[in-house]
Amino acid sequence: MVETSVPAVELRDVVKRFAEVIAVNHVSLKIAPGEFFALLGPSGSGKTTTLRMIGGFELPTEGEVFIEGEPQGYKPPYQRPVNTVFQNYALFPHMTVAQNIAFGLEMRGVPREEIRRRVGEMLELVRLSGYERRRPHQLSGGEQQRVALARALINRPKVLLLDEPLGALDLKLRKAMQLELKTIQEQVGITFIYVTHDQEEAITMADRIAVMNRGRVLQVGTPQEVYEHPENLFVADFIGDTNFIPVQVQQVGDGVQVLTVSGAVLLAHWGEPTLNAGSEAMMAVRPERMRLHRPEEVPQQEGWNAVEGIIRHVIYHGLDIRYEVHLAGGTTLHVRMPVGQGETRFQRGEHVVVSWPHAAARVFRSES
Amino acid sequence: MSALLQRKPGLRAWLLLAPSFVWLMLFFIIPLGIILVYSFLERDVYGGVVWKWTLDNYRRVFDPLYFKTFLASLWIAFLTAFFSLLFGYPLAYYIATRPEKVRNALVLALMIPFWTNFLVRTYAWLTLLRTNTGLINVWLQQWGIIDRPLPLFGNTFAITLGLVYGWMPDMILPIYAALERLDRRLLEAAEDLYASRWQVFRRVIWPLSLPGVVAGTMLVFIPSLGAFVTPAILGGGKRLMIGNVITNQFLGAHDWPFGSALSVLMMAVMLVATLIYFRTGGEEGRRGGLG
Amino acid sequence: MTAPAASQPRLSHRLRHEALRVLFHIYGAAGYLFFYLPIIILVIFSFNDSRSVSQWAGFSWRWYEAMLQDRQIMLALWNSVFVAVVSTAIATVLGTLAAMALERYRRFPGRLFADITLYLPIIIPDIAMAIMLLAFFNLSGIGLHVWKVNFFGVRLAVPFSVIIGHVAFNISFVAVVVQARLAQMDRTLEEAAQDLYANPWRTFWRVTLPLMMPGVLGGALLAFTLSLDDFVITFFTSGAGFNTLPVRVFGMIRKGVTPKINAVSSLMLGFSLLLVTLALLAARGRDERNVRLF
Repeated sequence: MVETSVPAVELRDVVKRFAEVIAVNHVSLKIAPGEFFALLGPSGSGKTTTLRMIGGFELPTEGEVFIEGEPQGYKPPYQRPVNTVFQNYALFPHMTVAQNIAFGLEMRGVPREEIRRRVGEMLELVRLSGYERRRPHQLSGGEQQRVALARALINRPKVLLLDEPLGALDLKLRKAMQLELKTIQEQVGITFIYVTHDQEEAITMADRIAVMNRGRVLQVGTPQEVYEHPENLFVADFIGDTNFIPVQVQQVGDGVQVLTVSGAVLLAHWGEPTLNAGSEAMMAVRPERMRLHRPEEVPQQEGWNAVEGIIRHVIYHGLDIRYEVHLAGGTTLHVRMPVGQGETRFQRGEHVVVSWPHAAARVFRSES
Repeated sequence: MSALLQRKPGLRAWLLLAPSFVWLMLFFIIPLGIILVYSFLERDVYGGVVWKWTLDNYRRVFDPLYFKTFLASLWIAFLTAFFSLLFGYPLAYYIATRPEKVRNALVLALMIPFWTNFLVRTYAWLTLLRTNTGLINVWLQQWGIIDRPLPLFGNTFAITLGLVYGWMPDMILPIYAALERLDRRLLEAAEDLYASRWQVFRRVIWPLSLPGVVAGTMLVFIPSLGAFVTPAILGGGKRLMIGNVITNQFLGAHDWPFGSALSVLMMAVMLVATLIYFRTGGEEGRRGGLG
Repeated sequence: MTAPAASQPRLSHRLRHEALRVLFHIYGAAGYLFFYLPIIILVIFSFNDSRSVSQWAGFSWRWYEAMLQDRQIMLALWNSVFVAVVSTAIATVLGTLAAMALERYRRFPGRLFADITLYLPIIIPDIAMAIMLLAFFNLSGIGLHVWKVNFFGVRLAVPFSVIIGHVAFNISFVAVVVQARLAQMDRTLEEAAQDLYANPWRTFWRVTLPLMMPGVLGGALLAFTLSLDDFVITFFTSGAGFNTLPVRVFGMIRKGVTPKINAVSSLMLGFSLLLVTLALLAARGRDERNVRLF
């Protein structure tokens, strides 16, 4: 069904090479109209270069960028129906707030009266009415950010590109702006493509996330899909906290059976398709999916894994308690138990059994 | 067209460069080539050139008559660089160790004479140094300190003094820039440790200011070697430098090939000096600048 | 060594330290005196009421009056200003474009050659440049024409060769100054303009030029000063009969020293001071812009 509508942005097998370095390596993406799409990855993963190719600041070495089905070819930025919010805002220091916001409309020859009206509307939208005559250096970081947003949105672009727009703000302001950005996006209904290295930010704000590393897109999905069903070791590691248990694959079939270093046999419902019996692998489990038991109180449940260990640290976190458990083979597991649920509290040095459902375990190839 | 430019940044670069490049090609590089070619030609009796290749002009440079002037010019340029360094380094150090506001004022105060017309500055010394009517000799005689005028004019001393006066800011400013980049605490520590003050200078300050010293030396040596105005005014017609000889060949004797050969040789010496600069301090300075 | 004796050398060290500090201050003052005294004496004697430039005979304006009445000096002054204005205008435009190319496009074919061509005129001494231009104009016949112009009511006849020469040595200085300014500029500002539908032309006029203006002004001021200052290149390329102020002053010095030369020199000094002040103001504007950038 999604296939029938034309994507707002499509990248078809795009490659970007800088001299010897391949910054973006055969990336294909389809971004639906009205979507809040995040490009997530560590620095150097190619996410910003990908964004810059959509904006026209870089041209792909191979492949093609489509905006609303139109191939962009060699089109320069000023001929593309997209606008950008830059990482450092890039507000013109020699112009006032109003002149900054009006710039795009002025360049397109919109009549003065309409410009004035729309600038007023925009300032209202980003809650900066009365700031018209200020200059960028007289604004706080958050205010500059909002001016940059208004300057881009006023042009009613088909797609808004945001390059780590909150990167320069402190944590508290960041959280507030995340919410505000999301609200504004829903209000104006424009497609947002949002580059960030902050997985939490991507998960909170985006409808879908593309996780990138070393120029490749490793997984595309909703925040829930990416968080709960990572498809490779990198995604599992990069997003959220994960326990990794080094294992050897014993059997692949309907699920995967593996052997830990200490000789325990574990099962997982899902394993990477390329796994073979005998290959070295990692079993990944989220800390909140694990349970702790006293050795004599382990319930006999179908479909659960269990391993023995010793508690090394207990950290109280308010909503939950985090335990650090050492297993016999030298592996350390982090377990998160909600406070109040289950009366049992464990002490440092206690022998325990850690358990988790087969469904919560995923097995990846060791080498990504 | 615009798509082509979008794809080929080199083309856009050359489009922007084209006007100045063409100008400098026509009025700098080609003239340089003409001088090079002229230096291998023969003169004709009317002051023009004859298109016959010869090395005579270069042989004539080593004629004692001219070669002495060449060596004297090298000597004066060397002395100028030496004294500019000797007197300029402490001054640069003095400026660099002042509080910031004083420092900026002092740098500005150095720029003002530097922006003043070179000819005016040389003329000022002429009124001070002239043998019989120069201010220094007149006053010294009036005060009874000397009986006869001192030989302050028309000699190596006068020219060197004029050149030092003219170019010393070129020595001070790069050294000052290097010293100013130094960690202030290092300088204060050096001031405090009076017992080992000399060693601190030798081991820390001097090596770190070396890029500035080398740059300054270049900036003083090259124009001093090519000086024309200073010897013409303060040399009193008795002491000449290579610049005056070249001028004579072009404007007086009308021996352009020989004048060209002299200039080519002068530029060759400067080129060698520049190469030495890039081999030593220049590289260090650039590395220092990156850090 | 006994304890009381130990304080003795420490005290003397302290004294030596203090003495050195005072000496250092005296040295600094002496250094600046060296730079300023000759100029100050020069100005003082421009007001001397006699023909001497070393014997004070009372205050008088007579040499300034003589200067103003000397038609050749006044013509030379106008020639200087005209040559400086025209060559600065051309060199500023060309040098700014070149600076943009060199700063914007780090690597392109022929970059090294472009660098050499652009920076060599800075290193080459003016005497070498002067004879090169002389030979070129003589051989090619270019630039031998005279530009007859009415400049603020004064009729001037300026050889094109002089203007060409001044532009040739000024382009490089302008390029260096502008390039330094461009290097500090945030390039995403131009990307932002392009993102907001400004084509390269409008990006240049609306964003790039206003932001690099302090550098352009600084470069223009430097070019103007160098042009006013130049004696050697003008002397060689002008041919007989054309004087700028420095060429005229040189001719006067050759004939003999009079306070009239001091008066002309003081005038030129005043000019330089004015230009330094302007350059300072431009630099201050530059700082202010920097604050706004960040």
